[in-house]
Amino acid sequence: MLTVALPKGALLKDSIHLLKSVGLDFSAFLDSSNRQLQISDPSGTAQGLLVRAQDVPVYVEYGQAQLGIVGFDVLQEKKPNIAQVIDLGFGHCRMSVAVPSQSPYRSAIELPPNCRVASKFIHCAHDFFCQLDIPVEIIPLYGSVELGPITGMSEAIVDLVSTGRTLKENGLIELDCLYQSTARLIAHPLSYRLNQYHLQHWLDEIGKRSQPQVTHSP
Amino acid sequence: MMYQPPAGARDLLPLDVAQKCWIEQHLQQVFQRWGYHRIITPTLERLDTLVAGGAVEPQTVIQVWDAEEGVLGLRPELTASIARTAVTRMEGATHPQRLYYNANIFRQQQAHVSGQHEFYQAGVELLGSGGLLADAEILLLLADCLSAVGVQHWHVILGEADLTRSLLNPFPEAIRSDVRRAIAQLDRVGLANLSLSPELKDHALFLLDLRGEPAQVLQKVSQLPLDPPQHEAVTNLKSLVEILAPLPSLTLDLSLIQTFDYYTGVVFEIISDAESGQRILGQGGRYDQLLGLYHPQGKMMPGIGFSFNVEHLHQVLLGLGQLPTQTPASHWLVVPESEAAIAATFRHAQHLRSQNAQLPLTRVEVELSQKPPAEIRTIARQQRIAQIAWVNAQGSVTIESLA
Repeated sequence: MLTVALPKGALLKDSIHLLKSVGLDFSAFLDSSNRQLQISDPSGTAQGLLVRAQDVPVYVEYGQAQLGIVGFDVLQEKKPNIAQVIDLGFGHCRMSVAVPSQSPYRSAIELPPNCRVASKFIHCAHDFFCQLDIPVEIIPLYGSVELGPITGMSEAIVDLVSTGRTLKENGLIELDCLYQSTARLIAHPLSYRLNQYHLQHWLDEIGKRSQPQVTHSP
Repeated sequence: MMYQPPAGARDLLPLDVAQKCWIEQHLQQVFQRWGYHRIITPTLERLDTLVAGGAVEPQTVIQVWDAEEGVLGLRPELTASIARTAVTRMEGATHPQRLYYNANIFRQQQAHVSGQHEFYQAGVELLGSGGLLADAEILLLLADCLSAVGVQHWHVILGEADLTRSLLNPFPEAIRSDVRRAIAQLDRVGLANLSLSPELKDHALFLLDLRGEPAQVLQKVSQLPLDPPQHEAVTNLKSLVEILAPLPSLTLDLSLIQTFDYYTGVVFEIISDAESGQRILGQGGRYDQLLGLYHPQGKMMPGIGFSFNVEHLHQVLLGLGQLPTQTPASHWLVVPESEAAIAATFRHAQHLRSQNAQLPLTRVEVELSQKPPAEIRTIARQQRIAQIAWVNAQGSVTIESLA
């Protein structure tokens, strides 16, 4: 059966609305009383897996799910072997370098060599500073990355920014943007090539209903 | 202190080996029936040899430093070694050369930290023969192998590397490798975001989608303005697809291309069906530039081959119930009734082993424990041994059947 991996968290609601619009109903995942991680669409055409956003490309790469929805940021960080089929346009945010507002730096290139950068996105951070040719020490954190510079553990952070409010309230300012991110529909490459479970039909349907557009939530 | 194998290494216990041998024997029989001969090349090669073809990145090779030779690598595949030896050591041989191998390969895993390092491959190389006939032989041989091991449902994804590469020529050189990378990785979003004119973007997306039922794909590609070599490649593909009609499922995929220039003609992947997890059972293609790289005078020679990923085949066959589920039991347990009977016991066991030479194999164990007969019987039953031969000091034998 066609299997779709859906990300817990910020993208879930929009993902489920989109799939519902093409006839795949996984809205049971939005029910707060639901504890099931694997459900079938009521029409019996597909099943949904509810997984952590970082795990969506894993299920798709290994072919346990033929389709998945995940932010571009996760794809940039993990570089999974998947087919990136459609830019869904929602879940807009950006990957940015930020420093405390009182720090003297106004651009990432001004950061001193061998400084410390805290991030959940260690590969993105590493690649970015490699391109700038600034050797840095990346400190991996799993959340509340803003505390890195606040406590003095690091000079800067690399993190996802959507409205910028969290940065502002923690006294940080954005220096540079690494890239813009939106939700992407991804597919298992072999299933895509072989058009398993009429994948192309679903991709066409989803493609019709998702024009890439920048939608900032207020 | 626990002594564990390094991450990525694995032990194959007797049952694993029995299953693996079953697969390899069935494949080898087919290879031999088609006139292929086994070749064994070194596990260690110079790194230069391994990466010369351009398909292997040095960082994916497990490297070994040798004080005299410099950097060596554990082979990540066999074709480079076979190409090297074919053009230097077998130069006088008549062509085509039909060679097969069955060997372990090693890969440094990048993304998956604890991924496997050592794999097994069985495959063939058909050297010195270009064109449709050789292409057809390789794909039909592959189909014969799969039917010999009992895999009925599988898909071929067939591409044409040279044709696809030439279809990329309209793109400006500066951006061509980005287009190629996006097509190779099926990165539709990346392709749509490249700065291309609307016509070129349409052409790029056309190429990315150029797959499906062979007749339809051939028709689509025929509508392009083709030059004579492209026209010939399409005609060849058409003939090949006709010859391959008996195959269970064939997808013609002209977006199947690598980011490096290694394959020069047909290129294919063999995929198991969805129920068995769509594993890549094997892959291969034509490499008409490769042999020339290894030839001292750069003499070109066509070549085509494929390899099976034995682990993936193993997994699929386990699911199909094709493989042995037990190691073979011994036919006989020969037991000395006393210490004085030991010499006679070994003599009788040897006699049993040499009987029935026309049968595949008679397995005879000698009981070493000197335990009471009842206990020996119990253990023999557990081990599925068919008969016990009790030998006494006089050398006379009492046969007891446990069936």
